[in-house]
Amino acid sequence: MRIPLGNIRYFLAFLFVILAANFLMAQRIRDNHAGPGEHMAPNGDGTAAARPTGNTVVTGNGINYNGGPVLHGNPVPIYIIWYGTWTSTTGSNTQATVNLIDSFLAANSLGGSGYEKINTTYGDTTGNVSGNLQLSSQIFDTGSQGTKLRNSRITSAISSALTTGKLPTDPNGVYLFLTSSNVSESGFCSQFCGFHTHQTINGADIKWAFIGNPDRCQSACEIQSTGPNSPSAGVGGADGMINIITHESEESITDPDLNAWFDSAGNEDADKCNFRFGPTQKAANGAQFNQTFGGHNWMMQMEWENSRGGGCDQTLGGTFF
Amino acid sequence: MRLPVLCCAVLLTLPAISVGQEPVKPNLTPRIITATKQVTMFTGLENQMLQAVQKKDKAALGSIVTDDCSIHLPDADSMAGDDWIDSVMNKDFVLKKFLIRQMSVADLGTSAVVSYDRVQESSYQGKPDGGEFYVVDLWKQDGGTWKLSDRFVSKVGTTPYMPKGLVKPTGRQ
Repeated sequence: MRIPLGNIRYFLAFLFVILAANFLMAQRIRDNHAGPGEHMAPNGDGTAAARPTGNTVVTGNGINYNGGPVLHGNPVPIYIIWYGTWTSTTGSNTQATVNLIDSFLAANSLGGSGYEKINTTYGDTTGNVSGNLQLSSQIFDTGSQGTKLRNSRITSAISSALTTGKLPTDPNGVYLFLTSSNVSESGFCSQFCGFHTHQTINGADIKWAFIGNPDRCQSACEIQSTGPNSPSAGVGGADGMINIITHESEESITDPDLNAWFDSAGNEDADKCNFRFGPTQKAANGAQFNQTFGGHNWMMQMEWENSRGGGCDQTLGGTFF
Repeated sequence: MRLPVLCCAVLLTLPAISVGQEPVKPNLTPRIITATKQVTMFTGLENQMLQAVQKKDKAALGSIVTDDCSIHLPDADSMAGDDWIDSVMNKDFVLKKFLIRQMSVADLGTSAVVSYDRVQESSYQGKPDGGEFYVVDLWKQDGGTWKLSDRFVSKVGTTPYMPKGLVKPTGRQ
């Protein structure tokens, strides 16, 4: 049977129109990422998807458990990558800042404090957070990825540290990527002061956080221009970083894979008290502080306690402010 | 014989082209941020405005905008702040739910440029009127308080809240 040439042409034209329409409909942007601040609770109605079975962990305190794991380490190991220039002799990109943050994360400092114990009100089906963390090891990267960072470059720097064995590959730890004030990161200072995430790096689920030196943008990310540990007036970067480290480390422990503890608006425990400090005292240099441990005064945001109805406080069982 | 071969070639090639042409946003790692002080503050102010719209509290909304506030929409003349307030206070417009996300703030001292993505579920005369909007607000300090001076807003896409099809901006955004 012969098919007339004209019919074939009509058929081809028709086929072309159908496929072209299909092609055009396929142009919809595939939205397969969650950007800054886009973290949305899977349960938009605020109901908890699952209930942890730990003895002291409860729901109904203004924050929901969403089924994911928390970090149980006692202590949770902390690893630091000091990125950029940390050898300046003035300002806050100095060895003094390194020493201060090291002492903040040393044994018997933030870890085990009444403040960190607030984290023990969070848990998962296998147990609660210990309320203890401790600096395990740290390295310096003077700028392997340049001074204009984006996420992929931070990942590369962390990956390099892990694959070369400079830092251990530890899925139960938290890696802090701390940048000096001359380093930019897209969104830092305009959207955020820090963030935390998790990624498969070197074959393990690595939890890491970015914290920039807020001396880069004092009005956006610094609590006060002169902090309780400032080496001189107007150099508040180190104390500002302490506050952001506190925020990110709390959340990296209670929501390490971004699927454990957050409220119906997507706010994690520290988000719910962001830049809220409660009562403060005045240090000798005039700066405000609200915590004392490890031989220093500190100015740190409060954290959301997941008990007694929930609220921001400075220490476990303390007054809600 | 050439036509069947051509037919097969078209059939095999076009779907491949279709798949290859699909634009894909960068596959970023999900992350949760510590918002800056300005993002925290302006999120509060923007929420305050939207809550005033929800409650039909004209005085509250009016206190957050400058006297010469303007609302700028695509394909339309700028709208005076008072007209905009009247439109969102209209009882026919109901703002049921909203969500502000991805806020960024450029701090310029006594003024600030605030951009964000807003998803809202709303209705006008009982018909769905919501959607997703990209908003750029210019805030100015006025006697120690921040007030909205200019708003540039455009609809950016459909969401579960939105009716099907393209909806032109109505000014109630």
